[in-house]
Amino acid sequence: MAAQARPLAGLSRISLRSRFYGFGSIYGKTVRDSRLAFIVAAGLLGGMALVMGAAIGSVFPTAASRLEIDKLIGSMPASMVNLFGKPEKLGTLGGYMSWKYGALFALGTALWSIMALSGTLAGEAGKGSLDIVAAAPFGKRRIALEKLAAHVTMLVLAMAVLAIMTILSSNAFGDANLGDHIAPLSAVGFALWVGFIALFFGGLAFALGPVLGRSGAAGVSAAVMMLLWMASGLQGLGWLATISPFHWTVNHVALAGEYDWPGLALVGVVAVLLLAIGVELFTRRDLGVTAGLSLPSLPGFVLGVRGSTSRAFGDQLPRALAWGIGLGLWGVILASLVRSFADQIRQDSSLINTFRTIFPSEDLATAGGWLQLYAQLFLIAAGLAAATFVSKWASDETDGRLEMVLATPTARAKWVLAGGVAAMLSVALMTAMFAAGIAIGAASGGVSPGDAILGSTYLGIYAAAIVGIGVAIGGVWRTSLAGEISALVVLVTYLIDLLAPPLKLPDWFHQLALTAHMGQPMIGKWDFVGIVACLVLAVGGVLLGGLGMRRRDVA
Amino acid sequence: MTAIIRTEKLTKNYGTHRGIADVDLEVQQGEVFGFLGPNGAGKTTTIRVLLDLIRPTSGKAYVFEIESSADPVAIHRRIGYLPGEFALYDRLTGRQTLEYFGNLRGGVDQAYQAELIERFDLDVSRRFREYSKGNKQKVGIVAALQHKPELLILDEPTSGLDPLVQQTFFSTVREQVRGGATVFLSSHILSEVEKSCDRVAIIREGRIVRLDRVDALRDLAHHQVEMRFAGDPPADEFKKLEGVSDIEVTDHLIRLRVFGPITGVVQTAARLGVTDFLSREPSLEETFLAQYGHAESTPAEVK
Repeated sequence: MAAQARPLAGLSRISLRSRFYGFGSIYGKTVRDSRLAFIVAAGLLGGMALVMGAAIGSVFPTAASRLEIDKLIGSMPASMVNLFGKPEKLGTLGGYMSWKYGALFALGTALWSIMALSGTLAGEAGKGSLDIVAAAPFGKRRIALEKLAAHVTMLVLAMAVLAIMTILSSNAFGDANLGDHIAPLSAVGFALWVGFIALFFGGLAFALGPVLGRSGAAGVSAAVMMLLWMASGLQGLGWLATISPFHWTVNHVALAGEYDWPGLALVGVVAVLLLAIGVELFTRRDLGVTAGLSLPSLPGFVLGVRGSTSRAFGDQLPRALAWGIGLGLWGVILASLVRSFADQIRQDSSLINTFRTIFPSEDLATAGGWLQLYAQLFLIAAGLAAATFVSKWASDETDGRLEMVLATPTARAKWVLAGGVAAMLSVALMTAMFAAGIAIGAASGGVSPGDAILGSTYLGIYAAAIVGIGVAIGGVWRTSLAGEISALVVLVTYLIDLLAPPLKLPDWFHQLALTAHMGQPMIGKWDFVGIVACLVLAVGGVLLGGLGMRRRDVA
Repeated sequence: MTAIIRTEKLTKNYGTHRGIADVDLEVQQGEVFGFLGPNGAGKTTTIRVLLDLIRPTSGKAYVFEIESSADPVAIHRRIGYLPGEFALYDRLTGRQTLEYFGNLRGGVDQAYQAELIERFDLDVSRRFREYSKGNKQKVGIVAALQHKPELLILDEPTSGLDPLVQQTFFSTVREQVRGGATVFLSSHILSEVEKSCDRVAIIREGRIVRLDRVDALRDLAHHQVEMRFAGDPPADEFKKLEGVSDIEVTDHLIRLRVFGPITGVVQTAARLGVTDFLSREPSLEETFLAQYGHAESTPAEVK
């Protein structure tokens, strides 16, 4: 008797809710998986919009001070215009926020998009879990589109939060008589700009993912993003500016009531094209087979098989070199341009005074002052680099290698110490490459690099402290969160240091930020309390991690 | 004889999750000891406590008569360990990986390492990330054996290996035992334990439910038989037969379990005009359920 298909009685129905959020569809699961990233991104974007509004009221409380800052328009060095954003209506909340922090909103959101869209398919393919999803009765195109739609959904929601918080911020803290009111169209225009820029670079990562794999796609996209941002702002990179979405939208200053919808649409169209290329490449290529980046292989002897420390350093070396090259190039470009920035400012004493109001802690009439202006960004980059070193060390345990290592006559504490020392060596290498970049750039720009080279070491000192914190967390508690918590410490430190002064928060709260104790090393002003605190955290953290590891279970 | 591994009421809880409870074991020098149980029974937890990778909630574990958490490095110096699941360094080649693990032990006999590489037909010039699952397993096996340890702790060692390599593996293990080594081998494959081990402990839901010589395991073996008849199945005829139990009748189908020889059931079925006959040896999981399914973790005859 021929076998007959049994009726599918008893099959559970897939609820509509779980199709949109949950395990009812690929889209629903991807949305669910993105919830934490969404909360962090929307929280940061909305929170920043709110506190920026609060800040301007305290920095420029009077009409006279607003007029003073408005004078910057037209007298500002051209090379500063696009890097920060076009200065329009600087005396208003929207104009000031767009100019001083607009790029930060766009770059931060783009970084989220890059990480999400490089990982959603390529990362899962690399891990092998995509094979199982692809074996389900859907086409590869549908899988790609559902995953893409999920990220776009989260991005749209985050942008909605940003727009709403921007309006709330202007209503709560702005002065309508001084032109601070932000209309809904302006807020939406700003959020669209941030979202489109994010989708542009996220789209690039998505398109590269099937070819380069997750890390290759994320790395290349992040590097292109920084390059195109700087190309748009710094005149030294010539034609590159013409392909920068920042350049296409330079006249779109929505929070100041200036719109360039065609420019914005161009960014959107290219973003959609990149996403479409990503979908097609994923559909046509073999699953999980990537070309990878043909980087030269490291020689065998630096991979370190002699012992625990050399092995740990050999493991860290590729990412230490990657961070070092990235920071070094950044240093070369900036250091070569700072002299012209400083020269332009020095020519006008009123300009110097105005800049002192906006950047009270930096002397922008000097080249070192300009480098110091970027100190916060350097510190964020170095801190995040340190978090990735912690994460790499932690992967010994999270990936399952540690069992085999500890089954040899290697004590737990020794593994922690070896990993900590290797991460510190990686920090040192990265810092040396950054200092070299600063030296080369300064020499080519006709600036004496002495203080700046020495000042570059503050990056290493701060990064070493972050490594110490991460290793302590990994050793005492768990390695699976050590990298993430280290990165969180970097971001929270940055936010405290950024927001405490304008919000007039208690001094003790501001002092919690490690970066508030770094002095101004780029112009030779050191804060030794900060240095000592960093060194204590670095050495103490590793020792504490070693002690903690002796007491807890291996995961 | 000297006990190489000894545990006393060894217990490990993971918060509210069960780990292992009151595990008592003794592994003697020179024996191959099988540690058998279904997935999630507590085999790996026991091994990880022995190696001091995790600490017991209560009870004690001794390896070479050294308490596992007192001086784990002294224990590790004398063992070779292959984890059930592991990942090594993606960028290192097989040779570099073996060199590294050799260096962590202060160096190994290069000739023996080369012999093992040849015996397992391992291409050590490839990077670890390029290896198939089976080849990764071979790297782990050579890393565990290359320093000629006194005690081999192997967690599901044949996972991913083809039958030929499995044979090579077991002959290498036997060779190590002849050289004086002791082997603690965890597995969920009954036949693997049967052919390689002297004694075996069966663990289920975190508790040792049986500890015996391998020969004594034979009484666990049984057949599940399914027969179809044209009319109503003659269940009473089968009930009379020795070793038959758990009879179920559905329409023209009869299912039963047979412990011991199946000859009587076959002859009876043929005599009564069976139209279809299916007999299979159940999986270990089914065997466990049949044998210990209602025991609810009551230790049975631990020897």
